[in-house]
Amino acid sequence: MNRIASRRGLVLGAVLAGVSFLSVAAASAGDVTVWAWDPNFNGATMKEAASRYQAINPEANIIIDDTASQDDIRAKLQTQLLAGSTDGLPDIVLIQDDVAQKYLQSFPGAFEPLSDSIDMTAFADYKVAAATLDGKSYSLPFDSGVTGLFYRSDYFEEAGFTAEDLNNITWDRLIEIGTEVKEKTGHLLLDLDLTDTGVIRMMMQQSGTWYFNEDGSLNIVDNAPLKKALETYAKFYQADLVKPVSGWAEYTGAFTSGEVAAVPVGVWITGTIKANADQSGLWGVAPIPRLDIEGSVNASNQGGSSWYVLASSDNKEEAIDFLKTVWGSDVDFYQKILIDQGAVGSLLAAREGEAYKATDEFFGGAPVWQDFSTWLSQIPSVDYGVFTAEVDSAVQAQLPTIIQGGDLDQALQAIHDQAQQQMQ
Amino acid sequence: MTDTSLPAVGARPAANVRSRVPANPFAILRRALVYVLLSIAAFVSVFPFFWMIVGATNKSADIIRGKNSFGSELFNNAATFFTQVDALRVFWNSAFIAVVGTALTLLISSLAGYGFEMFRSKVRERIFALLLLFLSIPFAAMMVPLFVMFSQAKLVNTYTAVILPTVASIFIIFYFRQATKAFPSELRDAAKIDGLKEWQIFLFVYMPVMRSTYAAATIIIFMANWNNYLWPLIVLQTAENKTITLIVSALTSAYTPDYGMILFGTVLATLPTLVIFFLLQRRFVEGMLGAVK
Amino acid sequence: MAYARLDRREQLTGWAFIAPALVLLGLFMIYPIIWSLWMSFQVGKGMNLSFGGFANIERLTKDPVFLRALGNTFIFFIIQVPIMITLALLFAVALNDSTLRFRGLFRTAIFLPCVTSLIAYSTIFKSMFATDGVVNQALMALHIIGSPIGWFTDPFWAKVIVILAITWRWTGYNMIFYLAALQNVDRSIYEAARIDGVPAWARFTHITIPMLKPVILFTTVISTIGTLQLFDEVYNFTAGSGGPSDSTLTLSLYIYNLTFKFMPSFGYSATVSWVIVVLVGILSFLQFLVARDRRRT
Repeated sequence: MNRIASRRGLVLGAVLAGVSFLSVAAASAGDVTVWAWDPNFNGATMKEAASRYQAINPEANIIIDDTASQDDIRAKLQTQLLAGSTDGLPDIVLIQDDVAQKYLQSFPGAFEPLSDSIDMTAFADYKVAAATLDGKSYSLPFDSGVTGLFYRSDYFEEAGFTAEDLNNITWDRLIEIGTEVKEKTGHLLLDLDLTDTGVIRMMMQQSGTWYFNEDGSLNIVDNAPLKKALETYAKFYQADLVKPVSGWAEYTGAFTSGEVAAVPVGVWITGTIKANADQSGLWGVAPIPRLDIEGSVNASNQGGSSWYVLASSDNKEEAIDFLKTVWGSDVDFYQKILIDQGAVGSLLAAREGEAYKATDEFFGGAPVWQDFSTWLSQIPSVDYGVFTAEVDSAVQAQLPTIIQGGDLDQALQAIHDQAQQQMQ
Repeated sequence: MTDTSLPAVGARPAANVRSRVPANPFAILRRALVYVLLSIAAFVSVFPFFWMIVGATNKSADIIRGKNSFGSELFNNAATFFTQVDALRVFWNSAFIAVVGTALTLLISSLAGYGFEMFRSKVRERIFALLLLFLSIPFAAMMVPLFVMFSQAKLVNTYTAVILPTVASIFIIFYFRQATKAFPSELRDAAKIDGLKEWQIFLFVYMPVMRSTYAAATIIIFMANWNNYLWPLIVLQTAENKTITLIVSALTSAYTPDYGMILFGTVLATLPTLVIFFLLQRRFVEGMLGAVK
Repeated sequence: MAYARLDRREQLTGWAFIAPALVLLGLFMIYPIIWSLWMSFQVGKGMNLSFGGFANIERLTKDPVFLRALGNTFIFFIIQVPIMITLALLFAVALNDSTLRFRGLFRTAIFLPCVTSLIAYSTIFKSMFATDGVVNQALMALHIIGSPIGWFTDPFWAKVIVILAITWRWTGYNMIFYLAALQNVDRSIYEAARIDGVPAWARFTHITIPMLKPVILFTTVISTIGTLQLFDEVYNFTAGSGGPSDSTLTLSLYIYNLTFKFMPSFGYSATVSWVIVVLVGILSFLQFLVARDRRRT
């Protein structure tokens, strides 16, 4: 299958085996191993799922490794797939939706198609689409990155704005409101990290586009939503509503400490916000604002990931059965992880459960989960392609110029040129 | 390149050469300047360590807000850390890899350093020069072929796979070779007359005489092994084999990182290298001395 | 260079001593290096590779990101290495004075940064230099700056912070080498020069520097390699992005991105790796050349 694992490597490998000592036993056959990042979110939900499966199948042994970061998991996965070596790989791995196609297309045959054994119509369309290649879907869709505008209701109220004033507005209107909030309360509207294109991507997806055309070629220079998104991004800075931050600690710090008034972000941030129990009742969630162009909706996505089964797994059947049994049908399970981790799953049936109908005092008694479910069903589905990371880095390179009022067409051209070069 | 910038500042360090002469006001001023500069340097060097300890006593939210005084959360942070991390296990992994790795590196690399210096030949000099050039290859470029080898040897997820590629270190060989230049040749000649074989000379004469060089190398190698990140990350697969460096690093990537707990973890992760350093530092300064004679 | 004649037996002993290291290096270094050299002639993505001749080298010359990374790496190299070497020399000369009090304390303190663990150091630096961090607070309290500096959010300051951080970490390490070498310099030379009325700075440039030349060369070569491979700091400070606006993207980080973050482009990333080897080769050669010329004059 691959040229890297040459015969020469085999010989050297044999030499190495000769000097082997202190080998540590690998997981024994019959165990299903899972890689996921963040023990408090993905790891915790997977542990809950595992215990539910074990209640049905006492023999099943599911080993969850949640001690690596997402970047680390990508590096490990990619090294091993490139090396054509599979014995170090787990049976199930968590992959974020926007990089899924890169893996599926660069390593054909490495992942097991799940659409043969699991009914994909039970899940949100856009999640399934992200993992579909040549008519087969390869993932069990997990958490949704459905976005909302999380805001400090106390600040907005002080400035004279109610929840209704934030309902289904445009980004431009948000800038107007944010300017007033800043004048009246002294709080900046939001914080942005110039090395993160999250908000720009959110704006593109809500308008139904991405960086690429259907054939995979670049769609940058004439991409109206992208241009509008960059323009809006610059407006935040020009209206002086942004606290510049760098890195996750500063980013989350700015809104959890009450410094900035709002944050447009994926629903998975809920746990981070609610970790500050003293702010209960001071937060609200509004639909994500839309771009002021044709076709843009008040619903988008940021992040979110899904479970993939490695084709090399010795326990494929068991792994798939596990995913199907718990993740594919246990509605009660989804209520539990919503309450405990704030994880919004993609199983449509789960939305009819009790937890999804509950109101949340932290968010002023609003039925936030119902709202997120509604927005989730409106997210335009886009094809993330295989070169998103390359284009992201081209966009980042232009952001400092853009926020200083640089010419947008020139910036788009520069993004296009760099990305084109990188996609060779 | 270096010395173009030196004359401008050269007057300051030279001050202490003069300071032995009976003091004049100018000399006292210079001396004061030296103390001030060294104090600033020492403060800047030590402050981040102090800051890390301050952080470990505070709540995550306070750290993010930039609180800069000691807090009372040390025990809570410790408790969170020990519930989330199987500390005993990861410390054992780190300690095993660092100790065995350091011992093997000391042996193999000092042998080679001794060999290159004591038995010079044209071919070996060429090999040595080539090795120095290869020192500059970024590790990321070699990772995939290395992984292929270890997976074919069925050694993925073993301590062996972490340790073996680091054992022959070009930098340490270079270091030992330089140090060997200071090894008194009379000792070797005398031992030869006494009928000792070369390996006996190495074992019973060279190693004891060069013990401060070994002490210095121990700190450098232990530090490198303890902090090694990229390769252990790729080659260690299961949680129970991972090192403290990998585990603490992953903690920072959670959606809601607990910075108090993470800083407590970094304090713990830094302790062993600090201890080794303090234990060996007296010898270390002597050892470096040997290296550049 | 002349070599002492070794008899057959000694030749064999020589090989025996270096054999274990050579075998290990052959397996874990030479083989992967040759592999990467071979890869640098391959083009394609992921598993679909084919021989491309010099296509990757051609691609390098047109790659704006590569040129940016190369430029950044050079800026780090040209600014950071001299600053660090100069500081290390100054500290070493100051600490070499036996009449100085608290020498051990100063020496330990300045050496301390290089034993810290990478995660500890990057976590701490990020927190200290955050917009609301202790450094900005202190600078504002001292009225050195009026508003906080965006250390990590401004392309210029981000470069500064990387230079500060590496200098913090490695100055003490280099200082120890100089300190050790200085202890070998004969004190009487200084005394004689002083009696002859040679001014202090001239003694420094005409005695200290020439005496330390081999060590300075050694540390410069090691630092050159270290800076050209710079990865840890920029990766950890910028969450792997090399931002803002690629201002801290180094060659090593670019190699990492090409291998792990982007659509895997193995041949091309191997080519970039070899650029570093060639650069180190040229720079080390130049450094040796400069050192040799000075010796003659």
